[in-house]
Amino acid sequence: MDAFLLAMKAVIDNLGATVVLPIIIFLVALIMGAKPGRAFRAGVTIGIAFIGINLVIGLMWGTLSEVGQKMVQNTGVTLNVMDVGWPSAAAIAFGTSVGLWVIPIAIVVNLILLFARVTKTINIDIWNYWHFAFIGSMVAVVSGGNVMYGLIAAAIASALALFFGDWTARAVQHFYNLPGISIPHLTTAPGVPFAIVTNWVIEKIPGLNKVKADPDTIQKRFGTFGDPIILGLIIGLILGFLAFYNAGDFQTVLVKTLQTGMNLAAVMLLLPRMVQILMEGLIPVSEAARDFMHRRAADRDIYIGLDSAILIGHPAAISTALLLVPTAIAMSLILPGNDVLLFADLAVIPFVVAMFAPLMRGNIFRMWIAGVIELGLGFYLATNMAELFTGAATDAGFAKPEGATLISSIGDGFLWPPFVFARSVGFIGVAGLLLLLVILAVAWFFYLKNPNAWEELAGAPPREETEGVAAVAD
Amino acid sequence: MAPPKRILVACGTAIATSTVVAKAIEEAMKARGIDVVTRQCKAAEIRSLVKDADLVVTTTPVPQDLGVPVIQTLAFLTGIGKEAVIEQIAQILKK
Repeated sequence: MDAFLLAMKAVIDNLGATVVLPIIIFLVALIMGAKPGRAFRAGVTIGIAFIGINLVIGLMWGTLSEVGQKMVQNTGVTLNVMDVGWPSAAAIAFGTSVGLWVIPIAIVVNLILLFARVTKTINIDIWNYWHFAFIGSMVAVVSGGNVMYGLIAAAIASALALFFGDWTARAVQHFYNLPGISIPHLTTAPGVPFAIVTNWVIEKIPGLNKVKADPDTIQKRFGTFGDPIILGLIIGLILGFLAFYNAGDFQTVLVKTLQTGMNLAAVMLLLPRMVQILMEGLIPVSEAARDFMHRRAADRDIYIGLDSAILIGHPAAISTALLLVPTAIAMSLILPGNDVLLFADLAVIPFVVAMFAPLMRGNIFRMWIAGVIELGLGFYLATNMAELFTGAATDAGFAKPEGATLISSIGDGFLWPPFVFARSVGFIGVAGLLLLLVILAVAWFFYLKNPNAWEELAGAPPREETEGVAAVAD
Repeated sequence: MAPPKRILVACGTAIATSTVVAKAIEEAMKARGIDVVTRQCKAAEIRSLVKDADLVVTTTPVPQDLGVPVIQTLAFLTGIGKEAVIEQIAQILKK
């Protein structure tokens, strides 16, 4: 029997995410009531998406690795951790041994907390369960491949997302005018503490507390930073030149530089397209899960948990992110001890700042400051966790190119939740998970005891003003 | 045969929620025999792409002065009120 199980494990390990994940997605979709034909097609689509993502990551990782090594030789700048972007992070997260099980686990955690009347959110944003898988994968790598620790971490992370979703729901509903919605999204939610502290400090500083910036001017001046293809091309050309300016005669330098520019511009367009396929494959699962949870949560006060993508169109989020792109590139060059070379995730910055807006009333200057602080800290978290991130990529079966550098991404490599989870478990093992669970439970207890004060802290208006909105939400 | 109607579907990233919306619209319109082509974009790109579109459907706030009908809706994500929005889209496209 052992021999059989070992053989099974070997088969699964060899097949990897392109085969195992489709099977699991098919089964999960069936269990939650999707039609077999649709469920099957969903599974196959997801496998195809993984093959596509693998190809593009191969192109990017290969290009960036060569460029990175040459740049280090040429300039002495040691930015040897490449930012492969959140689409890669998501694919890696779903592709690890933890990621395979994250969807059923997070749904169960959600239903339990809903029926215990702890949370009001049903998180139908199945796609973004990758954040929980990502945290779990980091924990699994740090504990030497202990998948069970990884799964527990993913479960706690899914509860953390619900906590943030509930806590910020009224602020989001009011500021973004989205009745009944909450945002249990772990790229956006970790910004809330930064926003609270930054806002509090700025309020206390005369002069600064009056500064405002105009979103329209910023969008006109910095618009280019919002176009990933052009951004990828420009960064690619600059990196290519720095890496290859001494690679030979003029012709060689020109060819190498232009090639790097086009390769990286291609990655900026192709990577998101591949992830669209993954997303498409998840739709039947999302729909089935949504109905499954709706059926079990009938006639309850609920918030529907959605992706923060629905917030990103707001001018405050766009403008702040546009300003932060050049700022972040500058920070990556000047921050001492930073190893991360930003690239693919310059496009994710709006997600990081979207939850600042309600508390800061859309004040772009304040959002920019909070963003600088969160990303500034993020460089160090990402540098610290790059080995783990790369380890998770290997676990997910992504082909590592010859002489590859380490990898990371802003979402979620720059953020504190994966760091806190991974390092707690790294230091004190399973006790770390227990500790995090207790901290979350205590925070939740105090929130439920005094929800209004907490919600106002996150930017919600005082209770009586929002009676109308609250009525819709309920 | 009339050329297919072009629908620009916007969200924050052109990856996540807009994919769900675009696929849902394609399925619903196909079921009604309306020929559509969807294109996904980010809210920030909408101005440069809108001139090729007959209708904009978005999950996130976008400018209202685009010159084509704009539907901002979460119905395809939450499942609540989805039929009404599909009907609205079909009405606009039939014009």
